[in-house]
Amino acid sequence: MDFFRTLFSRIAALTGDRHRNNDLDDDIAAHLELLTQEYVAKGMSEDAARTAARRSFGGVTQTRETYRVQRGFPRLEQFLRDLRYASRQLRRSPGFAFTAVLTLALGLGADIAVFSLLNCILLRPLPVPYSDQLAVIRSDQNDQEHGPNYSFGSPFLRSLEKHHDGFETTAGFSTRPFQVRHDSANVRVPGAMVSGQFFQMLETPPALGRWLTPLDDRQGQANVAVITDSYWKTRFHRDPAAIGQTLTIANKPFTIVGVMPSTFVGADPMYRPEIYVPVWSEPIIDAPYNAIQSGFHSWWMRVMGRRAPGVTLEKANAALTAVSDGILDESIPDAKWIKDARTHRFHFAAEPGSRGYSYMRDTFQKPLVVVFVLCSAMLLLACINLASLLMARAAARERELATRLAMGASRVRLIQQLLVESLLIAVLGTAAGLMAAPAVSRFLAAVLIGGNGAYVILDTSLDMRVLAFVAIVAVLSTLLVGLVPALRATSKSLNEQIKSGTQSVHSRQHGLLPRVLMSMQVALALILVFGAGLLATSLQRLHRIDLGFQPANLVNVSLEMNKQSRDGDPLFAWYRQYLDALVHLPGVKAAAYVSYPPMSGSTWTETIESTISNGEQVIYMNSVSSVYFSTLKIPMLAGRDFQWSDNSTSGLKVILSKRAAEKLFPGQNAVGQSVVMSKKNYQVVAVVGDIHYASLRKEAPPEAYLCMTQNTDHKPNYEAITRIEGSVAPFASAARQLASKMAPEIPAPILTPMMTDIDGSIASERIMAMLAVFFAICALLVTAIGLYGTLAYSTARRTSEIGIRMALGAKPEQVVGLVFRENAWIAVYGSAAGLVVAWFAARALTSFLYSTSARDPWVLILSVVVLGTIASAASVVPAIRAARIDPSTALRTE
Amino acid sequence: MGDNKSDVLQGTLDLMVLKTLEAMSPLHGYGIARRIEQVSGDSIVLNQGTIYPALLRLEQRGWIKSEWGTSETNRRARFYSLSRVGRKKIAEETENWERIAATMARFLAPSN
Repeated sequence: MDFFRTLFSRIAALTGDRHRNNDLDDDIAAHLELLTQEYVAKGMSEDAARTAARRSFGGVTQTRETYRVQRGFPRLEQFLRDLRYASRQLRRSPGFAFTAVLTLALGLGADIAVFSLLNCILLRPLPVPYSDQLAVIRSDQNDQEHGPNYSFGSPFLRSLEKHHDGFETTAGFSTRPFQVRHDSANVRVPGAMVSGQFFQMLETPPALGRWLTPLDDRQGQANVAVITDSYWKTRFHRDPAAIGQTLTIANKPFTIVGVMPSTFVGADPMYRPEIYVPVWSEPIIDAPYNAIQSGFHSWWMRVMGRRAPGVTLEKANAALTAVSDGILDESIPDAKWIKDARTHRFHFAAEPGSRGYSYMRDTFQKPLVVVFVLCSAMLLLACINLASLLMARAAARERELATRLAMGASRVRLIQQLLVESLLIAVLGTAAGLMAAPAVSRFLAAVLIGGNGAYVILDTSLDMRVLAFVAIVAVLSTLLVGLVPALRATSKSLNEQIKSGTQSVHSRQHGLLPRVLMSMQVALALILVFGAGLLATSLQRLHRIDLGFQPANLVNVSLEMNKQSRDGDPLFAWYRQYLDALVHLPGVKAAAYVSYPPMSGSTWTETIESTISNGEQVIYMNSVSSVYFSTLKIPMLAGRDFQWSDNSTSGLKVILSKRAAEKLFPGQNAVGQSVVMSKKNYQVVAVVGDIHYASLRKEAPPEAYLCMTQNTDHKPNYEAITRIEGSVAPFASAARQLASKMAPEIPAPILTPMMTDIDGSIASERIMAMLAVFFAICALLVTAIGLYGTLAYSTARRTSEIGIRMALGAKPEQVVGLVFRENAWIAVYGSAAGLVVAWFAARALTSFLYSTSARDPWVLILSVVVLGTIASAASVVPAIRAARIDPSTALRTE
Repeated sequence: MGDNKSDVLQGTLDLMVLKTLEAMSPLHGYGIARRIEQVSGDSIVLNQGTIYPALLRLEQRGWIKSEWGTSETNRRARFYSLSRVGRKKIAEETENWERIAATMARFLAPSN
């Protein structure tokens, strides 16, 4: 009680500072007067009485000091005073302050941005109760070919649901955009198909109505859906009457039974479904395809489980292994498949699932970690740079500090004061970095997601983890920046040196620590420049790859025809009409259909054989219309193109790529011969050039093209690849308008420039190279500032020494050499150390480099040359300035 | 701060101030200091300035309160008096002090 009362009283005192001091002065004055009067009454003279009164009262100053200490928070007040002092110091040299804050802000901002990405991809748990009980289930086989498999067919899910030993609940889910009727047309809405126990597993109660239960997830049940808060808001304006209303999904009515709260994000943190329907609705959602009917041939679901109370992950794993065999027998009707699986020890396994499951995690993890390391190196460099600059500045304040030490200031006190200065820089830098971070992480997220789909969400919002990280980094950088300079500036030996007046002689010993720091900085900069050089070279080489077609100015128009009514020949007729209209749009030079555009991420393979192919060969497939090859500018090496008149009755045709032709007809002319695929004969009508189908890095695969108009699938989707002139935007709106006029019921086509897909396929490489180059430039700049700044300071302190040298006959060149040599050694030692580290560290980049050795000598040499040039440039100015010193002035100033 | 020796002394001074204010109040700093010296039979000679931090400490705890008035020499000065809490605390503090004094007396008694 007393404690709090005192505390409040002290806090109150913080505000009325001046006022209270005057009060005490009044009291003291009254007191002294009364005392004096008393002594006068005792017979003293006025003067003697006043002196006696003062003696009796004791030290007025001490009283004031003790009173002040008692009244407020002396530490806090001291801190505030230090802060005012520090900000005065910084304001006095705005150039230094600006550079310092900017360097730190750069390093910190990038570090925070990358950390918030790492946080959202790797660290943040799903916002559900007891997320640590969740597990992701996968299947393992002990062969090199199959890694861990996170995809499941519906038979596995149903068996796992039955044999759920160790798990309280087991649930499968699959996410994709649904076609939902809005007004008269279908639009895409991100959705998820979830099995019966999904919501039970995630334990988040609905905000309205009910969630889906195992009863809904059974064949023959009425179609029901649960929507999310955001969809409820945009579509129903939060009207509770939404429950019971009907959504038309994939042309079928679904009754809304519940609304999930806004905190609910599902089980994939990077995909935000707006609509949830039971797994049993899959044939409707995926029509005309039917994954459930395809059984174990179709691997389309992720499976997770919630461990039963008291069951550890090991126990759950053991239980899964135990039931694996039984599940295999129960869900796979193919004896050969089972036998194969058994020889490879097929079994299910569980891994920690608190963060949910996202297939993007693996894609993003490695590049992000590399980028994070780059950022941290940059931050470290910025800190070291500031430390050496502060040290140089402290040298200018040596006298002040020494005097204060001599006058009895404690070392701890001085260190505190100096640390407050670096704290101020760090806090300002952190604040600036924190402000920039969200924009930076959004930008990085956009580059990362790239061509990976329109529905991927990276929620980089700041949470407790990020803020804790920020706090730790800020404190660490304060210490890194401030502690060494503060310790040095207040050290005894330095003090002695100043006392003995040898300030003008620059001892080697004295300069060792700053040199080591500067060398470290040069080393770090070299590592960053070298890494950036490697990544940039590799990216450059990736960009220069000849794809086998010309991707610039190609735009993919993705049409979803699977939910409209046309099929067969009428559908092809529609496709042809649409293409004709497209070609006649202004700026369109050519257009053709393809089922999987190259570099879009999707491929399709089949096994094909010919009479001389030495068995079945794995060939990449595609289905294309006529003029596809001329549109992409793929050379036609022999034979003729497909025709719109080629149809199911005119004999199946195939066009082979050069590689495929060599594989199927080694040493022979393929045109006119026939191949067998899925027990059907195809006649080879042409051979075309090879292209990169799925990946820039991998060589062009053997490829076979089937004729679009001979495709017997129901309602197949095609993309119109269009070669245009000019900008994409007007073409995009024209293409959409055309589609909505000719088929109002289909969702608006999605347009993707081919270059976006290609960039997206190397998003990791791009983001790494971009950031690495950015950081390398920053590192060079920062290092240049550091080298220049420290040399300028130290030269300024040697003015009189240089003056003496010149008075004794040193030539200007000699002085330039003298000063320049200081930094030259730093650069040499730093580069040597950097080279050694880079040589070993570069290996970490190997897996990201394309046809570039991690020890590419040219990149290495160039990095050293660039760094050397920058270091020389930064050192020449102070050196020249030193040579211009006028000896007589220099000597007179001392 | 946190020095044990001065804590005991502080406590002593605090109690003296409280007792003084119990006997006569309101009183200004000079009055309190003089009174303490008088009661002690001038065996205590205070550095009278030390009374002010002590008064502030007691006021912060809420044991005494102060108001502005005019001194005998017509100057602005603060007059202190006990608060209700202070009155209660005197009993506690007296007991405390007596216990310490008794303990100390036992230590200081000539040993057998």
